[in-house]
Order: sequence, then C-alpha cells, then structure tokens
Amino acid sequence: MADVTSGPGILTQIRLVAELRWRVLRNLIRNRNSRLDILGLVWAALFASAFVIGLCWLFWWGAYFSTSTGHFHWLLLLFWSVCLFWQAFPIFIAGFGAPFEFRTLLRFPLRFSAFYIIGLAYGLADFAAVCGTCWLFSIAVGVGIAKLTLLPAVLLVIVLFVWMNITLERLLSSWLERLLARRRTRELLFGLFILLSVSAQFLRPAIIHYSEGARTSDSVQRLIANVSPLPPSLAGSAVIAAGQGDAEHFFIGVGALLVYIAILSGLLWRRFAAQYRGEELSESSAPMRAATNLPSARSVRKSDPLGFLSPQLAAILTKEFKYLVRNGFVLISLLMPPLLVLLFSSQFAGKHPSVTHTRITSDSFFPGMMGYLILMLMTPAYNCFAYESKGIRNYYTAPIRFRDVLLAKNLMYAAILIFEITLSTMLLSIRIGLPSSPVLAATILALVFAVAGQFAIADWVSLSFPRKLEYGSMRGQRGSGVSIWIAFGVQILLAGICTMILFTGRWTGNPWLPAEAFAVLAAASLGGYFAALNALSIVAEKKKETLIETLSK
Amino acid sequence: MNEPAILTENLTRTFGALTAVDGINLSVTAGQFFGFLGPNGAGKSTTIKMLTGLLAPTSGRIRLLGIDFAADPIEVKRQIGVVPEGMGLFERLTGTEYLNFVGRMYGLGRETSKRRSDELLHFMQLDDRPKSVIADYSHGMQKKLALAAAVIHGPRILFLDEPFEGVDALAAGALKALLARMTERGVTIFLTSHVLEIVERLCSHVAIIHKGRLVAQGSLDELRAGVAADDSGPRTLEQIFLSIVGQSGGTRSQLEELSWLT
Repeated sequence: MADVTSGPGILTQIRLVAELRWRVLRNLIRNRNSRLDILGLVWAALFASAFVIGLCWLFWWGAYFSTSTGHFHWLLLLFWSVCLFWQAFPIFIAGFGAPFEFRTLLRFPLRFSAFYIIGLAYGLADFAAVCGTCWLFSIAVGVGIAKLTLLPAVLLVIVLFVWMNITLERLLSSWLERLLARRRTRELLFGLFILLSVSAQFLRPAIIHYSEGARTSDSVQRLIANVSPLPPSLAGSAVIAAGQGDAEHFFIGVGALLVYIAILSGLLWRRFAAQYRGEELSESSAPMRAATNLPSARSVRKSDPLGFLSPQLAAILTKEFKYLVRNGFVLISLLMPPLLVLLFSSQFAGKHPSVTHTRITSDSFFPGMMGYLILMLMTPAYNCFAYESKGIRNYYTAPIRFRDVLLAKNLMYAAILIFEITLSTMLLSIRIGLPSSPVLAATILALVFAVAGQFAIADWVSLSFPRKLEYGSMRGQRGSGVSIWIAFGVQILLAGICTMILFTGRWTGNPWLPAEAFAVLAAASLGGYFAALNALSIVAEKKKETLIETLSK
Repeated sequence: MNEPAILTENLTRTFGALTAVDGINLSVTAGQFFGFLGPNGAGKSTTIKMLTGLLAPTSGRIRLLGIDFAADPIEVKRQIGVVPEGMGLFERLTGTEYLNFVGRMYGLGRETSKRRSDELLHFMQLDDRPKSVIADYSHGMQKKLALAAAVIHGPRILFLDEPFEGVDALAAGALKALLARMTERGVTIFLTSHVLEIVERLCSHVAIIHKGRLVAQGSLDELRAGVAADDSGPRTLEQIFLSIVGQSGGTRSQLEELSWLT
C-alpha cells in the first residue's frame, strides 16, 4: 500500500526542483577531470559575470541619461535589446546541447498547476532570464535615480515585462523542444547558427553600401516606430507616458502588456497541458511495412569506387563518409572555408578592400589564406575518434592493424582538405587572381608538408587524449585541454616555419627557393608519417582501454 | 590431439588494487555451447573482454583454437565473433551499412558482404527499416543487429555477452535455433547471461566465476553431481548457482528490515 497520503505543496516542489538543478550543476563542476577544464569553467564564469555586470552598468546609464535629459524614446531601444536577447539567446543555446528536460519530473505525482508554475520558475533560472532581469532592474534604478517619482510606474512595467518575457520564452522553448526532439533538426539549427555568425561579418559592408549616408540611429528609430504594438515598445511607451504625466497612455500600455501576458499564458497553458498528458516526442518512427529489399543483380554488380583499396580501408572510408554526410553540423561547417575566403578577400584584397586602404597582393594573401584554412580544417584531426562512441570497439575486435584505421581516417581528412582547398583556390582566382607560379607551387608543397606532419602528431594526440563528442551538440563539445594546446602549438610552429621559408624567396631574390625547400620538407614529412604509422599502432594497443572507456561513456 | 577452442592459463586482470579476474584456467572444447556465469561484478565481462582483445591481461595466457592471442592477435580475431557488453555499434550507420562495414573489416568481398548482410537482416527481421540509422533502433533491434554482425564472417568461436537481453521471444527462438545449429557444425559458443533458464536450456557446459575466481567448471551433470541433491529431485542450474556462490541478497533478515514495503 502506498504510504503517501498527500503530495508536497507547490512551494516544496519548486524548492525540490531548484535543489535538483543546483545539485546537477555542482556535480558537473565536481566531475571536471582536469585542471584545464576547471580553469576553462572559471574563465567562462568570470567572462559571463563581466558581461552581465558590464551591461547592467550600460543599461543603468542609458536609462538615467534618457530620463534625465528627456530623451525618453531611447528607453524603447533598451527594452527591445533586453527582449531580443532574452528570447533569442535560449534558442541558439538549445541547439548546442541536450538541456535538462523538466518534463521528466512528470513521473512524480505533480498537479498540473504545480507543473505549470515549476515550468515558469524553471524559465527564470536560464542565463538569458537572469541577464534580462538584472538589466531590466538596472533600467528601473537608472530611471528611479533620474526621477524618483517615476520609480513605482517603472517597477510595475518591469515586473509585467519580466512576466511576459518568461512566459514567451517558455512558450518558444516548448515549441522548440518539439522541433529539437529530432536530431536532424537540432544539427541543422546549429549549422544555421554557425552560418549566421559568419554572415554577420557581412553586415557592416552591407550597411555601409545600402545606408547611403543615413545615420544608423535614425534607421533604428524608424524601425522601432513600426513595431509599436509589440510588448517591448508597449513597455517603453508606458514608461515614457509616465514620465510625461500621461496617465491614459500609461494605463493603455500596462493594459496591453497584461493582454499579451494573458494570451501567451493561455497558449503556454495549452502546450504544458499537452506535455502533462504525456506528449510523445520520440524520434523513433513507426516501423514501416516489411519490404522485400533483396538486392537486385544490378545493384550487387555495381562497380566499387574504392575497389583499389583493401576491404578494411574501403570499409572505414565508407563509414567515415556516411558519418560526414549524416552530421548536419559538420556538413554545414564545410561551407565555412569558402565563406571566409569571400569575407577576407573582400576585406583585405581585391580591387576595393573594405578594411585596409591598400590591397594585399595575391602573392601574400594566397599563402596566408591557405594557412588559415589549414589551421581551421586540421583541428578536428586532433580528436579523430570523437564521434566513434561505442563503435570504437569494432576497430579492436576486427582482424586489422590499427595503422589501417588511422590511415583511413587521415585519408578522409585529406580528401576533405583537397576539396576545400580546391574550392577556395577557385574562388580566390576569381576574386583576386592566382599568385605567381613560384608562390603557388611553394604554397601547395607547404600544405603537403604541414598536413602530413600534422597527421602523425594529430593521430598520437587522438589516441592519447581522446574526448567523446555528440552529434549536433555544442555544449561541452571540444577536445581535451591538452589536445587543444598541442594542436595550437604545432600549428603555430608550422606556420612560423612556413612563413620564414616563404620569405627566403624574397630575401635571396630566388623566387623558386621556397618551393624547392618545401618539396624536400614535404617528402621528409610524408616519409615520417608512414614510418610513424606502425609506432602509432603500438600506441593504440597501449591506449585501448582508455580510448574505449572514454568513448563508450 | 584436440586443442581446446578456448584455453586460458592463470588469466589475471587487476585494476589498481582490485583484482577483477584472478588466475582463471578455462578450457572449452570445440563445438561446445559454454555458459559463463557469475553474480554482478564477478569478472565475467572483464574475462570476455580479455578473450576478445578488448582488454589486455595483467598476466596469464590466452590460446584460442590453438593460437596464442598475444603472438598473433590478427589471426585470432579473424576466427572469432563478438557481441560485446554495450554492443559497440556505429549508431550513425543503417543496419545494412553497418553489417557491410563489419563484413568488409573481416576481409569479405563487397558482394559477399552485401549478400550476407541482406540475408542476416532478413533472418533477424530487421529489413523493414532500411533507411533508419541504428541510433533509432530499439534496444532489442540493436541486440539482434550486434548478433548479426558477430556472425557475418562465419566465426569459429562466438563470444556473446548477454545476447538475449531485450530480444523479443520470437526472435530469441530463431536465434537459439541458429546458435544450436552453429554448435552442431563445430562452432564454439561462449555465452554469459543472467537468465539461468536460458543457459540451462542451451549450454552443455558451464563455468561459474565469483569474486574473480573460477569456482566451478564442467558439464551440467558434473555440476549437479557436485552439489548435494535434495528431496525435490534433480537440481536446477539456479539452485546449483545459488549453492555455489551463496545467496547474496534478499535474505530473511534483510527482508525483515523492509517490513514497511511488505
């Protein structure tokens, strides 16, 4: 017989959930297994604190300035900034990792009202919500100091605005949760985020090009005027009305905010009710009708494009390719190099560079750009087993030498590099033209030297400091601290060597000297790489327990 | 002279101060259906990992089909199939792709690998979702796929760590029939399971490991003979197992402590 006669009260339930979140966070910090990880965490916490406090000061000053000088319309901009951050930030974060699903609390005997309130309270614990709340109260303090009589009105507006933001954020998050329940959507959203981040770099040139001399602040003011029926404008307008002693418009603003809160709460109530009833978000599709998909003679006889390789190498390469095309995030991130080529060439080279006054010649820009691409594209090779998960055991139970596994993985990276560099070179040839033949030859040979040399080191780092990564997830998705430092050090060293050799052509007046030097280095580097593979097989055998354990977690 | 299919000599594995497997000497004849039993944490999985090359022994020797594992691991691995604990699947591949991958890793030709994959998927009733990646499979489906992958190259020894866990009764029946046929054809099967009824029904020989040490080994009849019979007739494997490793939970006094539950 169940001994439970009555459930805990709502306040107790909220407290229990808050404790749960705190314990999850505390255990996460405790389980950090290296000093570098803890250092990274402390650094991130300091950065986040500086960000929040710095902007608090800015919002306080903005509110104080606009109230004391009578430029009330700037308050609208402050409310809009807070609202946009509050709503947009959690959406981007959601694509970066599997958040704690408070729906799992449904296994406990919660009443729906408690579930709804916990859901709302949970929204207040988000980073964006903490930031938004701090900034809004900074605005209140700023207005209050400038004009004390306005404080009650501002506080009322801000409390309603916080309520509206929490409700809206929870509503968007719950819809997003439905969307992100599918792994593919999650990856695409993350890829989209990366692309948006890069595309943001093009904003400035675009604004300069299209603004035709108009002031940015005027454009923003015009934009805000067109969105006056929306909550941030309503909140700002209510404060402005209070400042101008216009009680009618103040109450209209407050009333409209209340209407928004009522509508959003109703919608949220419906969403939470669906969750409370046990909405199914699983991505396992229903079984399809049994298909007799025995292979046709034609499909079996299809020629094997990797037929020239051993079955094992071909198998691993095929598997790597499948993993690449199914990893939406990695696939989209392959668009980055050509995008960066376009961006940097428009900023520093070409006929009209937007950043520098004098354009950088192709002979200087091309090797620099290629070096940057290698820096970016080679980094994943330093944790090449990141996505293997429990599948890593296949490499140890199969009758193969581990050198074949490493070789296949490196071949895959080399294929990606060749594709990306060819594409980028084509774009550069269109945008700024190809460099002179000696520089082109030297750069290509330098790439061979740098890549082959790095593969051997990257393989050793991958075996010695593995870190499991999840598909379509960014939170905590980075290699181990040691591997990042080694990768960084090696790349800086190689970049230094290559730059010095490239400059010898100018210093000695022999333009082909760097190409000759790089040809020798590339041959040595390739020889060293193949010689290192057997030694790396021995390392793989020694490290297998750590590797399997780390990746199978 | 017939060399045992599986032979270990003083096989030991330590993890720091903990000795997980303590000098065990196993001998399994070719074609035996061999059950390897033990309570949780007894050292079953550690042993199976050492026998399949996933874990290096601290000391001792392993010979499979007469080949020293340490001397020629590649040749040994060519002869064995494994369903490891946790299955070890590449979850981003579809079932067909994964079986093709495994077949090719064992050196099968492309066409042979494809044909066997299709036949195995059909046998395991996994061919109705050709485009689903393994991550979207249920636990039981993943288990069946891991079993298919373990046999695709026609191994002479099959190591199965909890092979029937989560597999539906229909598929389990077909699998048991398949495994029985494999042993008839000389394949040695080394199986761990906590479901003693399955082991009793399938296995001809059994070994019991407890706290890292081998405490019993032999045919079921030999094990029964070693344990005093009671009035209720021949003992079941569960009774033999409990009498050897001791009743490790749910004793009377412990149950009395949970009086509020009963």
